[in-house]
Amino acid sequence: MAAAVPAVGGPKPPSTKTGSRIDARREAIAGYAFIAVPMGLFLILQIGMLIYAGWVSIWDWDIRLGPQNLIWFQNFQRLATDPGFINALKNTAYYALIWVPLTMAIGLFLAVVVNQKIRGQTFFRASFYFPAIASSAAITTLWLFLIAPSGLFNEIRGALGLNPVFTLLNFAPNHDWAGNYRTAMNSIILLNAWTTSGTFMLFYLASLQSIPKDVYEAAAIDGAGQWQTFWRVTFPLLRPAHFFVATVALIGAFQLFDQAFIVGGVDGAPAGTTMSIVLYLYNAVFRQINLDYAAAVGIVLFLIIMGLTLIQRRVFPEPDW
Amino acid sequence: MSEAVGKVTGPDAALGRLEVARAAPTQPTGGKWRRRIAYVILISYALLMFVPFGWSIITSFKTLPDSLNLGLPDPWTLQAWDYALTRLTPNVVVLFTNSLVIAGIVTISNLTLGSLAGYAFARLRFPLSGLLFLMVLATLMIPDQLRLVPVYILFNNLGLTVGVGQYLAVILVLAISATSIFLMRQYFLTIPKDLEDAAKVDGAGFFTTFLRVMLPLATPALAAVAILQFQGTWNSFFWPVIFLKDQSHLTLPLGLAFFRLSGGFGTNWPPLMVVVIIATLPILVLYLFFQRYFVEGIAAAGVKG
Repeated sequence: MAAAVPAVGGPKPPSTKTGSRIDARREAIAGYAFIAVPMGLFLILQIGMLIYAGWVSIWDWDIRLGPQNLIWFQNFQRLATDPGFINALKNTAYYALIWVPLTMAIGLFLAVVVNQKIRGQTFFRASFYFPAIASSAAITTLWLFLIAPSGLFNEIRGALGLNPVFTLLNFAPNHDWAGNYRTAMNSIILLNAWTTSGTFMLFYLASLQSIPKDVYEAAAIDGAGQWQTFWRVTFPLLRPAHFFVATVALIGAFQLFDQAFIVGGVDGAPAGTTMSIVLYLYNAVFRQINLDYAAAVGIVLFLIIMGLTLIQRRVFPEPDW
Repeated sequence: MSEAVGKVTGPDAALGRLEVARAAPTQPTGGKWRRRIAYVILISYALLMFVPFGWSIITSFKTLPDSLNLGLPDPWTLQAWDYALTRLTPNVVVLFTNSLVIAGIVTISNLTLGSLAGYAFARLRFPLSGLLFLMVLATLMIPDQLRLVPVYILFNNLGLTVGVGQYLAVILVLAISATSIFLMRQYFLTIPKDLEDAAKVDGAGFFTTFLRVMLPLATPALAAVAILQFQGTWNSFFWPVIFLKDQSHLTLPLGLAFFRLSGGFGTNWPPLMVVVIIATLPILVLYLFFQRYFVEGIAAAGVKG
């Protein structure tokens, strides 16, 4: 503390050592008082629940009566062979596998285009980002309307004379994109690529603009073309951004819920094709009414997310910024 | 909408705002054609953004049979608006009010608790403060889904899964986010200490100093937290769908899911589009006026990563 050397005539009143200790204690008490409520909430609703989740998962837990029998890891063993859970796992993995690279590619592409010397940069950036901040439920409902059997998408492809192409791909002129088991999950992928590409664009833009100009000048002097400059210079220099966006995207992908819920309902219709891990967790709580089993699903999801993050750190080591 | 993102100097920079607007483009100046192609791409993608929302507005003025046609409403009618506002169950006005009340309370709670804790972590010296702050940040790594079951059991035992308790459950679980504390702390760290010292010389206590001196100086951070939390809670789906079960307690996003899945209005598109517009409009208005704070949300998400 600064008061160790009494400053005579300084801005602070001179204080003795005891005085400063009392001050320090008052300050500590004030500090704890300031953080008491938020820390209490964090301790109970975050840290506490982390432990409680593990506790619930090893019991046969009745919703009204609480813990009944200690069953240890039976829930986890059951998960390994539960066709419903494995289906959810597969669906979510498929979603992540397509959605993550697709949305990253669109985001990067938009960032590069928006980063040109153009008018209305702010306008374009703002409009591309808007779907990301609008209500997921509203956007999903709107999307369902657009891709409904007689919705805008089917009408437009008919009007443009594109239906022969779609017929070749075995899609009827009034194909129900969200209601058909072949296309339901893909329609969610496209929807979320549309809404989230703006977010990834912003991530990439920040990174693009931190690349020093002389790097490009050097590339130009070496006679590199636009295409070459992008792949040889820009793309590798964006490594920190790739790493960051991919991590955020993967974590988000495994938490797919809102859109799947509204498209397919609690059962992941049609035929369980939109059943995601989180939707299965919800299903376990409110359909199967099996709380301990649902807790186990939550823990597995948590481990998957942690594992993915760790693997990613291995494969793409975080560069020194 | 030119330069909606304001200048970032001094304390503002501490919010970690992504300064994308004013930074000079770093790509070399290309030819005319390259820029033309860029415009074509940008305008087409912008159309992909605007056409769906525009289509929802157009459809809201159509009759149900007409909603299946391309083109403008024929005839223009307010039927769908009337139907959506008066005849849907649960009533859209009720949904709107629920959304507004829950988002409002969660916002105020985050402002209060976030600024208190943020100030303490930035300025007050107390044992373990560094460790406790790290713990706050670490909670960002715990996925909500992991907490679903234990929180549900806890709140069920506390009687928060029936009646008005349902609102309380959602509010409690969203009452304070680590992001709010983080944003407030980072801002308080940038405010010069002299002002506080002056207040102390005048004999002001810690709380008075916080309330009278520091809080008014932190208005930009408070605005950022308010907008982030309001938008996040207004749109939130996960916790509300866990706890809000009575029809009269639903929020707008839950109402939409209900209409689609079990309300029997699943393909009555014009009124559904009215609800979509009502659920989107408040956030759009906020976005138009406070775009820079939404971009900060991105920076905050960066913390989450």
